[in-house]
Amino acid sequence: MKLKTTTSRLAFTLAETMIALSASSVLLGATLTSSTALQKSFNAIDTYFATHMQQIRIVDYLSRDVKRGLVVTTSADLQTVTITVPNYIIQAGDPEAVANPDLVGTPRNPTMTYTPSGVQVNYGAANSTVVYSINGVSILRTENGNVTTIASSTDQLVPQTTDVELANTEYAKTSITFQPIFTSGGTTAERTGTTVYSTAYLRNKRRG
Amino acid sequence: MQVKHSGEEGNALICALCTILIISLIGANVLRNCTTRFNVSSSQVRSWKESLFAAEAGGDIAYAEIRKSVSDPTHVFNGWTNSGAKHTSPVTTFGANNLVTSTVVDAFYTDSSGNPWFRARSRGTAVIRGLSQVGMDDRMGAGARGDSLLRKIDFNTDHFVATYGPNGDGIGKALVPPSSSPYPSITRRIEQISAPITPFEAAIKAAGTFYGLGSAAYIDSFRSSVGPYDPNVKNNPSDPRYIDARSGTVEINTSLATVLGSIFGNLYTNGGTVTKKTASVSGVIDNNVPFSINPLEMPATTTWNYVANPTAVTGNTTIDPPLVNGQPRAGTPGSPNYYLISYFVNNGNLLVNPAVINGTPQDTYVTLAVTGDIGNSTSSQPTITVPANVHLKIYFTGNFQTKAENIINTSGYAGNLQFYAISPTDPSVHQTINLNSGGGSNAGFSAVFYAPSADFTINGAPDITGAIVCKNFYANGNVHWHYDRRLDTEGVAVDYRIVSYVEDIR
Repeated sequence: MKLKTTTSRLAFTLAETMIALSASSVLLGATLTSSTALQKSFNAIDTYFATHMQQIRIVDYLSRDVKRGLVVTTSADLQTVTITVPNYIIQAGDPEAVANPDLVGTPRNPTMTYTPSGVQVNYGAANSTVVYSINGVSILRTENGNVTTIASSTDQLVPQTTDVELANTEYAKTSITFQPIFTSGGTTAERTGTTVYSTAYLRNKRRG
Repeated sequence: MQVKHSGEEGNALICALCTILIISLIGANVLRNCTTRFNVSSSQVRSWKESLFAAEAGGDIAYAEIRKSVSDPTHVFNGWTNSGAKHTSPVTTFGANNLVTSTVVDAFYTDSSGNPWFRARSRGTAVIRGLSQVGMDDRMGAGARGDSLLRKIDFNTDHFVATYGPNGDGIGKALVPPSSSPYPSITRRIEQISAPITPFEAAIKAAGTFYGLGSAAYIDSFRSSVGPYDPNVKNNPSDPRYIDARSGTVEINTSLATVLGSIFGNLYTNGGTVTKKTASVSGVIDNNVPFSINPLEMPATTTWNYVANPTAVTGNTTIDPPLVNGQPRAGTPGSPNYYLISYFVNNGNLLVNPAVINGTPQDTYVTLAVTGDIGNSTSSQPTITVPANVHLKIYFTGNFQTKAENIINTSGYAGNLQFYAISPTDPSVHQTINLNSGGGSNAGFSAVFYAPSADFTINGAPDITGAIVCKNFYANGNVHWHYDRRLDTEGVAVDYRIVSYVEDIR
């Protein structure tokens, strides 16, 4: 049987082309718009969780230092926290390290002192000082002059800490907020909805 | 009919595959991000906190054992690996997430009273579930590390052993897999110091009833390490010793408190109705301070230096230090010369001499364990004489009765003569300590008594420097009682408290 050829019907009419182009444009536009929206949404969510993780990190850093601390003080604006912690590990330059360099990085033996307020256990002649502060978009932890950036975000992370002194102990209440990049109907997401709270008590008897 | 197909079908398949590939790549990237965040927020943060809980649980287990050294010395550290003063706990696995903890306890220090201080180094490990391949969330900024600085996770090797050695002292460093292998884990380490609680933290502490002292009696305080007792200091706020002159605290663990005389210190009762109008108390009155006093057992004597003679106090009995290599042995607070006295006759006179080396008396530490009574009737007049430089502790299982003037502590420091009444094993047995006046109005003594199961009675008006812990307290005379604040660290441990906590954050 002879094959049937349809060469005369392969072309599109102008109307068909225009319809196809229109449909393609709509589909492409929808795809681009939705993918852009998805990308923005994903980016917003990812940033949100990344900042949330930094909130948790700040809280965990603070809790760790408060628990092992001896005294906690906060600044008037509640954004700088100073914690005195035992100097547990021998550092280069410490008297023990000068006498025996092999002791660098090892735990220090405690000494006991009797005071009118009770016995004190000390690690070394002086304690360490840890300061938490805000510098631009970063949260800094400074221990004996050594600065570590523990969180950094363009979402305006704001930690606030208050310390409450009790008879023998003390606790630090921390709340951390940030400004999400979400918008809904032109309204910016509220900072208060991002608050993470934490309370940590001194494990040691408060000094000062 | 055969139909000839055009060649566009292949391109469509390729386009479809490419689309699937692109969507899959996007999906995988999103999934990776989500899993990383989930791993951090759910698994790693949780395990980081749980590992501290585990370490602190290990510390609690160790603390319970340390307290047994006082309350149940025969069973202390049973089931642990003991090597001298070092005790290693078995590994404990507990909780729904199989947390693991272990502790090493060492008696690292002995204080001037001979009480050991314990250091407990505990480690707690929590396994991290989830996909370890995604690692940690360190995305913070260029050149800056995030979580890995805080949460040190052992993925394939134990970072602590590799960097600091198993004991953290730089010895024995090795690349070893984490104990939770093949799962990653987090281990946190804490160090707690347990200090002895000594019994004489107040002038008078009564677990039961209290009556006394007398309408013209008073209780005040001083600190002998600052200066001798001066009766005028408690009324002179400008005196620098004033701060130590008003700590003659009385603690009563019942509501049955008849308080007479003046207390220059605080007064605590458990449910009492004492007020500033009904009692002369310079400090705080708190009628809601319950406490408990454990029965006293004979402490472990393994580190003490047993001396065979004498075995009884009959008539005039003198104890001289034993000779070791021709020199008198003075002993130490943790290793005193230790004598077992099977009986102490009613009118026996005991003299304990210090070790004298090259003509100089040495601080000499002596402990006696007396079976039965030291004086058992009102006619009893046993005498105990402690010269300067002698630190004498007497444990007795029965009653104690004598005249105040017969307790002779030459140094005047109450901590140098300590009496401990071992609690009767039969709770129906009535244990008593009865001190009668004698020798005139100025007669008195310097000593401390720890008798948690004994009724303590003072008749007359002796002048006393010291402290007493007893069951029921009764005094009917105008006693002048001076509590020495230096005593608050004196005496054998009756319990332990944790005084220091530090985390090893390496």
